[in-house]
Amino acid sequence: MNEMSPSFEPAVPAGAFTRDALRTRIAALFDEMWREDHDSDPPPLEDDTVLLETGFDSMAFAVLVARLDDELGFDPFTMTEDPVYPQTFSEFLDFYEKCAPRPQ
Amino acid sequence: MRASPAVTPLASAIGALRLSPGHDLVKGPDGVLKAGALPGLTSNAAMYSGQRLAIQGGDPFRTCCAMLALDGQAEAMMPLPSGLSDEAAARLTASAGTGRTLRQDELAGFLAGRDAPDRALPGDLDTRWLLATSGTTGPPRTVRHTRASIVRAVRPCADGAHARWGMLYDPARFAGTQVLAQALLSGGTLLVPDPVMDTAATIDWLAEEGCTHLSATPSLWRRLLMAPGSARLPLRQVTLGGEIADGAILSALHARFPDARIVHIYASTEVGTGFAVRDMKAGFPARCLHDGIDGAGLSVRDGMLWVRPPVSDLTAAAHIERDGDGFIRTGDRVAVEGDRVLFLGREDSMFNIGGVKIQAEEVEEVVHAHPAVARCRVVARPSALTGSLLALSIVPRSDDFDDAVLRRDVARWCRERLPPAARPASIRIVADLPVTAAGKLSRTDTP
Repeated sequence: MNEMSPSFEPAVPAGAFTRDALRTRIAALFDEMWREDHDSDPPPLEDDTVLLETGFDSMAFAVLVARLDDELGFDPFTMTEDPVYPQTFSEFLDFYEKCAPRPQ
Repeated sequence: MRASPAVTPLASAIGALRLSPGHDLVKGPDGVLKAGALPGLTSNAAMYSGQRLAIQGGDPFRTCCAMLALDGQAEAMMPLPSGLSDEAAARLTASAGTGRTLRQDELAGFLAGRDAPDRALPGDLDTRWLLATSGTTGPPRTVRHTRASIVRAVRPCADGAHARWGMLYDPARFAGTQVLAQALLSGGTLLVPDPVMDTAATIDWLAEEGCTHLSATPSLWRRLLMAPGSARLPLRQVTLGGEIADGAILSALHARFPDARIVHIYASTEVGTGFAVRDMKAGFPARCLHDGIDGAGLSVRDGMLWVRPPVSDLTAAAHIERDGDGFIRTGDRVAVEGDRVLFLGREDSMFNIGGVKIQAEEVEEVVHAHPAVARCRVVARPSALTGSLLALSIVPRSDDFDDAVLRRDVARWCRERLPPAARPASIRIVADLPVTAAGKLSRTDTP
C-alpha cells in the first residue's frame, strides 16, 4: 500500500541526535502543541523546568512522546525495562539523549 | 428445542415462482444459470443426497449455484470462505463434522452435469447451513443455521422479478447468504462479480448488467462512492449492514442515489438477521426496545445490546452468550439518546486511553464528517505514559491536498469536537485502508 506521507519517515538521520538538536526539536514541538490549545505564549523550557508545572498534563506529554517517535524514529519510554519518569526538562532530555540511536 | 417451521428448499421455492426458462437466476462474468437449467442442476445434486458437505471457496458464482442445488439434497452444507488456508479449512470442517469437501474442479464438473445420477431423488431435506464466522477475534468458528433462519428475513418484493442484485459479499458469509436468498426467492437475478476484479471493474460490470439492488458494509460503500463509475449504477435499493451506518454515509448515499430506497440491516452471524431500519436515520427507534422490531426482541443492559432472534433454535455455537430468555449478547455497545438507540461500536474496538474509555467508531464518525476525508480508521498505539493513544489514518477525498495542511486541519477538527483522550495523537495520510474478507474495516492490518 502506498504511504502518501513522506513526513512520517524520521526527519532526522540517526547519529544527528546531539543534545542541542534534541533540545531544539523537542522545544519546537512543545511550542507547536501548546499553540494548538492555548492563545497565550508557551512557557520557556529551562533545564530545571518541572514538566507537569508547564501546563501540559500527562496526556499531553504522552502525545508529545508519540509525535517525537514519529519524527525522530524512537521512543525512549518503550526502550527501557525499568520505568522512567523524568520530572524536569533536563531529565527528559537526558533520557532522549541516552536512548538515541548511535551512528554505525 | 422445537423444530424449525417447514420451509421448502430454495430450488422448489424458485420453481414455484414459474419464472420463464430464459430468466437469469445467477450470472457471473463468465457464466450464467438460467431458470430452465435449475431442475437439471438439482437432479445432479442428488448424488450428494443426505451427505454433510463442505464447499471449497474461490469462485463465488460456482459456490452460489452449488448452494442453490444442494439445499434440500445435502443433510448439511458448509460453504468455505475464500482465501482460507488449507489448514484453517481442515480445522473448520473437522469441527463442523462435514464428511467431504467439494473442490472447485469437482464443482465445475457437478455444475456441468458430469457424473449426474440417472434417477434423481426429490430433495426435501431440512438442510443445515453451516457458516463460518469472520474470525476477527480468533480462529473462524462454525455457526449452525437452518434453512428457516437463512430465509427468515426475505421480504416479498413488488418488482422482485426485475430486481438485479449485486453480490459483493462472499456467499460463504451470513451476509452473502442473505443477498442470495433475497435475490432468488423474490424472483430476481443474482449478479456475482469475480473477486479478482478491482472496485472500478466490479462497478463497471454491475452497471453494465443493470444492477438495481446492492448490499454492502459502510466501509465498502465509502470505497464504492470514491469510484467515479458508481453514479452509473441504476440502483433502486441500497442496503447497508455489518458496521455502524452513521448519518454521514446515509446522506452521502442518498445524494449519490436519490431514487434508491436506503435500508440498513442489523445482523450478525451469531444472531442471524436481527432487523432492518428504513427511516434513513442512524440507529433505530427507541420504542423498539419495548415493541421489538421485525419479530426480534431487543434489550439494552449496561450499554450492551442483547437481541432475541425470532427463531429460537436458529443458531448453536459454544462462544455465544445467551440468557435464560433466549437473548443473545451481541458485543455491540449502544446508547439511548432521546427517541433513538445509537450504535457506539464493537466492545473489542473500545480502547483505554489514560483511564478513559474511548470507542474507536465514535472518533471515526467525527473524522468522517470532515469534508476532505473519504475514509478513516482509528487504532490504539502503545504509550508508556497512558497505556495507549489513538492513531488515526485517513484517506483523502481528492488527490489535491497538502499533507501538512490536511493533517493540521483534521487535528483542529478533532480538537474542536472531541475530549482530550479521544483526540488522535498522530495522523497519517494513506492511499487506502484494508477491509476484512467480510467487508469490514480491518483494525489489525497495516494500511
